[in-house]
Amino acid sequence: MELIDGNLQLKEIQKLEGHTDRVWSLAWNPATGVAGIPAMLASCSGDKTVRIWQQTPSGRSSGSWDCKAVLEETHTRTVRSCAWSPSGKLLATASFDATIGIWEQIGNDFECISTLEGHENEVKSVSWNSSGSLLATCSRDKSVWIWEVLPGNEFECVSVLQGHTQDVKMVQWHPSVDVLFSCSYDNTVKIWAEDGDSDDWHCVQTLGEPNNGHSSTVWALSFNSTGDKMVTSSDDLTLKIWGTDRQAMNDGFAPWEGVIASGAADDAIRLFVENKDGSIDGPSYNMLLKKEKAHDMDVNSVQWNNTETSLLASASDDGTVKIWEFASVP
Amino acid sequence: MQAEPAKQAAADSDSKYDEDIFDPSLNLEETHVKEGYKDGFHDGLVLGQQEGREVGLKVGFEVGEEIGFYCGCVDVWNSAIQAKSSCFTPHVQKNVKQMEELIKRYPILDPENESVQDIMDSLRAKFKAVSASLSISSSSSMKLEYDGLLKSSGANDLEF
Repeated sequence: MELIDGNLQLKEIQKLEGHTDRVWSLAWNPATGVAGIPAMLASCSGDKTVRIWQQTPSGRSSGSWDCKAVLEETHTRTVRSCAWSPSGKLLATASFDATIGIWEQIGNDFECISTLEGHENEVKSVSWNSSGSLLATCSRDKSVWIWEVLPGNEFECVSVLQGHTQDVKMVQWHPSVDVLFSCSYDNTVKIWAEDGDSDDWHCVQTLGEPNNGHSSTVWALSFNSTGDKMVTSSDDLTLKIWGTDRQAMNDGFAPWEGVIASGAADDAIRLFVENKDGSIDGPSYNMLLKKEKAHDMDVNSVQWNNTETSLLASASDDGTVKIWEFASVP
Repeated sequence: MQAEPAKQAAADSDSKYDEDIFDPSLNLEETHVKEGYKDGFHDGLVLGQQEGREVGLKVGFEVGEEIGFYCGCVDVWNSAIQAKSSCFTPHVQKNVKQMEELIKRYPILDPENESVQDIMDSLRAKFKAVSASLSISSSSSMKLEYDGLLKSSGANDLEF
């Protein structure tokens, strides 16, 4: 383990086993990990299932994690991505079987209350907007779909957005504004917004090679909590940080706020942070730490726990999920 | 004295003959190139027109069939909306209206108009959005799709 900034480490808390194929993605339930509710995590896999893991109520980082439920016998192919609605009540799952599953927790079980069809082939990603009123999905069919959530957990397709020229890998809503971001095998990130007058969604900006964009597939994107910065990761082996013109207000300073975690095909997890000492030319980022051999195989996804930002979960081709604690060395 | 003009004439005709020896051989290449070009141009024109007619007929059929399909769907949906608009959400109604406008705008008699591909792409996207919404609300597993005659039967085998 290499450290650049001294006494910080990524400590493995637990390894969650159970999936029988690679784990593609994870999502922390945003309504858990607060007010005495133990933290809950969903992981989705090539084994066509989604597993729900929950920490036993006994402790914070010390409590152990158990598999609470297995969502199976619904998707007929790999589940590639999953996302909780902001209320934590619904879980959306995106599958290679070209459908999106909407699940609700009923008692101790999860039931699939709706299946959204429409994409022509593998659905790669799903994302809820900040108010939970819209759901975005994207697919290898190069399109991005926006669905509206209607009363009674009904879904209606509002728009089919064409624009990407290749497989769309991920969609993410901005954390506060209803603006949608998508990234693709065509090396670009596209930004979609609603036209105020005609209620139509269209692409308002494309971040490609001409504007300092990536030179290969853009696999993922993520926002900081204030939404004024976005980081994208790419097959070109770089992470790029993008800013908007809005100013961020930073009241408190938490040591791990604004830390970027990335998982890579070299089995390692890296953490990056902005160099606050400032440089003359503009912001710069340093690698804070590198956890080699975090998994036995490619790390497909990393997610910070939104309520307890010192916890990080990672998903890997080795079929496991790991929970890490980011803390100072005692 | 009389022999000289004759010799001159002979000399003259000799030199003219010398020039002519080279000229035809040079010109031979040029004339053959010109002839070949003329033949090729003519044959190319004939073949080009033939292919143009075939491709034009095929593409024209495909475009016409697809536009006609969307036109038919819009007509049926409009009738249904008129009969009982509460069965259709505002989004669906709006998308149907937008499809109608796109169909009107499609320059069917002007195939070289640049907007043909954009309008067709928008029509396809809106059709997917409407049929996805309708198939959800109908709670049946029937999926409405556009299957062109050529697409579904292995296009290249058809002879026009």
